[in-house]
Amino acid sequence: MTADASDLSLVQRVQRGDKGAFDVLVLKYQHKVVKLVMRYVRNPAEAEDIAQDAFIKAYRALPQFRGDSAFYTWLYRIAINTAKNAVVARDRNPVDFDLDMTNTEESYEMQGRLKDSETPEALVLTDEIRTTVNAAIANLPDDLRTAIVLRELEGLSYEEIAATMDCPVGTVRSRIFRAREAIDSRLREVFEGGLGRAEEIG
Amino acid sequence: MSNEELESQLSAMFDDELPAPECELLARRLARDEQLRGRWGRYAAIGACIRGEPGIRLETTLAGKVSAAIKQEAAPGEVPATQRRHYGALHPWLTSLGGLASAAAVAAVAILWMRSQGPNVPQIAAVPPAPVRTPPATALPVAAPQLVSGQSPDHLRRAREADSYVIPASAAQGPALVPPTELANYMVAHSAYSGPLLRRNALSALVGEDSAAPAVTAQPIAATVVTQK
Repeated sequence: MTADASDLSLVQRVQRGDKGAFDVLVLKYQHKVVKLVMRYVRNPAEAEDIAQDAFIKAYRALPQFRGDSAFYTWLYRIAINTAKNAVVARDRNPVDFDLDMTNTEESYEMQGRLKDSETPEALVLTDEIRTTVNAAIANLPDDLRTAIVLRELEGLSYEEIAATMDCPVGTVRSRIFRAREAIDSRLREVFEGGLGRAEEIG
Repeated sequence: MSNEELESQLSAMFDDELPAPECELLARRLARDEQLRGRWGRYAAIGACIRGEPGIRLETTLAGKVSAAIKQEAAPGEVPATQRRHYGALHPWLTSLGGLASAAAVAAVAILWMRSQGPNVPQIAAVPPAPVRTPPATALPVAAPQLVSGQSPDHLRRAREADSYVIPASAAQGPALVPPTELANYMVAHSAYSGPLLRRNALSALVGEDSAAPAVTAQPIAATVVTQK
């Protein structure tokens, strides 16, 4: 596995005190970890908070990581445990809304918790992104569309896709890249100047 | 390297299909190139859309939050100054061993002190000072008393009875050879918590040491028959 070797190199740099190398690992795996946590919590904001906790726990435990397994396998276990613990803790302390609430502090706390849930604006934005992406995929040439769908939806490796599409691995890599570029180009057109909207809304 | 080549590498790295050396170089670049990070985020959003995942975001602040949080942390392998002198982290058996060592030291000091007080403390009343019957091997042969002129036969009988007893030198030296009361009581009281073997050894060592050492050199004194001239 190529990713394992590069991850191990980054891990060793973190173990030698290079905190920047850990930023790279977070950038690389943040989406996977959030997606993983979303199996346990439906709220994306909550999932992101749990993923953040998981990364911080992983950073603290990194001196004990000896590379017996792949870094992501190790991180995966930490994320799963963090998500399970968060769900248990949340179930023990459910949000209690009091209609006659007069305490200002309680009111702020409740607002904070509500902010974490999906707001109508966030739902609209998600819908808008999805529509744009789906339209862009529909406009892709067949070979590009097949390659990206086999990769993202079926989770096949480049080698498996090459076998399926009867083409070299290099061609698969190129097709997937071109498919992504076409979709990304469309996304940038639609959300030009507004790519930070997700943050404003979230 | 052209932008297109760089972006193609980014796409491959996103799929874990980039060779390790290239991956490491690109990862370093990703950490400092904001445009590449934006592209990385959008690749993730595209994948999430294809899989129909909820809560899609084009950008996320997760990496920034984690980076800010770990800046406050000590680097991995570094021990924070607040934890360096945390004795509570010692293994529990080390703590127990320390307690036992302290108790043993106190007991040893107490025993030595009591032994140094030996002759001055009251003796055990139950132990008779003399006579003590000793094995024949340690007794000196005593000549059979003879009737001397002027003595009555009754005197001779008493003298022969006395012949069957010897007084060991240890007993003859006086009551200092008997363990002091406080020391004996101390040993008895503490032996209640020790095993039978240890208890027996401790008590026998205490008594045996006091009485046996002088006994080696002791010359049993036979009851003498004073002859009247």
